[in-house]
Amino acid sequence: MTYSSSIANRRSGYARRGQNAVSFLEASRPLGPVSNTIILIVLACLIGLLYLTQVTKTNSYGYTINSLQQQQIELKDQKANLEVTSARLQSLERVSSSDVAKGMVSVAPAGSISQ
Amino acid sequence: MGPRPRAATTPSQPKSNRRLTIWYGVLIIILAIFIARLFYLQVIRHDYYRAQALADQLKEYKIEAERGVIKAKSGSGQVPLVLNEKLYTLYADPVFIKNAHDSADKVATVMGAKTDDYEKLMKSRGTRYAVLARRVSEDQKKRITSLKLPGVGTQAQNYRTYPQGSLAAQVLGFVNDDGQGSYGVEQALDETLKGVPGKLKAITDAEGVPLAASRDNIQVDPRPGKDIVLTLDLGMQKQLEAILKQGLDSSKSASGGALIMEANTGAVRAMANFPTYDPASYFKNADAQVFNNALVSSPLEVGSIMKVLTIPAALDQGVVKLDTTYSDPNHWNLDGHEITNIEEIGGPGTHSVTDILNRSINTGAVWLLMQMGGKTGQVTDSARERWHDYMVNRYRLGQPTGIEQGYEAEGFIPDPKEGYALQLTYANTSFGQAMTATPLQMAAALAAILNGGTYYRPTLVDNTIDASGKVAAQKPEALRSGVVSPQVGQELKSMMEYAVAHHSFKKPFPANFSVGGKTGTAQIANPAGGYYEDRFNGTYVGFVGGDKVQYVIAVRVNEPKLGKYAGSGAAQPIFGDLAHMLTNDFNVIPKSQ
Repeated sequence: MTYSSSIANRRSGYARRGQNAVSFLEASRPLGPVSNTIILIVLACLIGLLYLTQVTKTNSYGYTINSLQQQQIELKDQKANLEVTSARLQSLERVSSSDVAKGMVSVAPAGSISQ
Repeated sequence: MGPRPRAATTPSQPKSNRRLTIWYGVLIIILAIFIARLFYLQVIRHDYYRAQALADQLKEYKIEAERGVIKAKSGSGQVPLVLNEKLYTLYADPVFIKNAHDSADKVATVMGAKTDDYEKLMKSRGTRYAVLARRVSEDQKKRITSLKLPGVGTQAQNYRTYPQGSLAAQVLGFVNDDGQGSYGVEQALDETLKGVPGKLKAITDAEGVPLAASRDNIQVDPRPGKDIVLTLDLGMQKQLEAILKQGLDSSKSASGGALIMEANTGAVRAMANFPTYDPASYFKNADAQVFNNALVSSPLEVGSIMKVLTIPAALDQGVVKLDTTYSDPNHWNLDGHEITNIEEIGGPGTHSVTDILNRSINTGAVWLLMQMGGKTGQVTDSARERWHDYMVNRYRLGQPTGIEQGYEAEGFIPDPKEGYALQLTYANTSFGQAMTATPLQMAAALAAILNGGTYYRPTLVDNTIDASGKVAAQKPEALRSGVVSPQVGQELKSMMEYAVAHHSFKKPFPANFSVGGKTGTAQIANPAGGYYEDRFNGTYVGFVGGDKVQYVIAVRVNEPKLGKYAGSGAAQPIFGDLAHMLTNDFNVIPKSQ
């Protein structure tokens, strides 16, 4: 098939006698008001959905943050409790009443008293 | 064949269009109504509905700032004296309790208490919040929570905890149930310790969890309180308390106190009173007096320790010299009253200035006061005003020292120009009666004389540490220089050393250290007038050092039940033990020769 014949074949598919080919080949019809409205509504819904998705996602971070903060508080409490326990274990009262301390003997200070 | 009629539908098209138009119109009207309503609700009534919505969704929380901890020095390190601990209040809501006996039994097993008590509380009517126990530990709370008892819950609360028990209790003070510092450092430095609370204002879900996506959320982080490192030395404090307790027991005294201060900085290294209390259970004490740091808040007529201030005042004015001698009549008649000495002085005689201190001659102190006015036999206006100037402006008596303690007292110095029997009154002040001062005021004034003439504000704070770990050291604050000349300070030092050398102590002091002191026995004022004949307080001020005075010590013993003078019998032994403690254990720099 030659190029010219192929053009002819394509034309033959829709060309009718007496029809104005130029008029027939009008590019596209403008959308009507209803279609436009529907499209706008759909677009608005899409934007709304996008917004809701983002808000929901962001809010889920709130729960993550809250959970992490709780962990932080618990760890701080544990640290504080350990500090208290450590301080109690090292208190003078406890140390002086320990078995090791009880086994010690007092000595006179050396080199400070002149006879 | 006739012409084919045009489409049969043609006539109905306008009708259909009209119907469609009507539907469109209806739809538009409905939409317009919706839009108008929404406009009204969302634009015109915006503020109202926004406020209504936020009232339900927006929660505001106060985030408590963590209170700063308090530490003491221990050698080159630091040891916590006050920490924060999260404990729990165990409560029951009787409405939700299903089996009171069973629940009480389980709680009692964990808490180690009686089942009956808890059962009674769990069955109590007319309340939805019955407190079963306070200060429940984390471990106990976990065990009780794991039991999943209906109607039994816990509530967290921060408490102060004291790893060293009642050590330095009155210096520290406590934090009351309202979170306010009471007494001691906790009260005086409450603002520094408590920090600034934060705020969280956020849209929350039904469970109160803040939602992240809200422009209305406000979060202000709390600013934790600063940690405070005290000048107290843990070991010195512990030993001072033991020595004080032993000394009070020996002298059969119900109460007393002692302090040790650095003479060249004003830093208080140890300070304690008896009786004392456990700050962790302060609420168990019915008598609030026990919370007071009496060394700071309870002024007394100090007795003869005042002579360590009278003599330097006279020497500094040049009205007497260290080697001056005078003829003492053993009594003075002033404003119709007689001032005499104790029997041991032994009547009239010639005495030196050193004798006035060593033998504690009251009439000698009055004689010194008279010399300030230049007229023996009378305490003139000039003498009173000069002595008043020394007491108030140089020794800073009659005013708070500014130490970081709650309820610091001013003491009392009589006016030199107005009042009853001013000659007698002022004569009495020269040996520590008719005026009041706290042991801390006396120690600070003595330190100012002995260190060469600089009055340092007594302090208990070595440094503060903020949340970022930044340390702010507190430098010694000189409130006055030239209190007396350095020479007068040296003269007083030698007189006080002489006094110690001529008084008996249990053990001799090491010769390579300089130890000096002065006793005081003060009659106690009778609220009905005059003084009790048989009630005395014992006091002692002294120092320990080498070439330079390093520490000043003040001791107070209230009404010892001894057959001896309260100063020498009760307060002096405590001073002796404290002086030995310092030379033995706390790196006092000995004399160079």
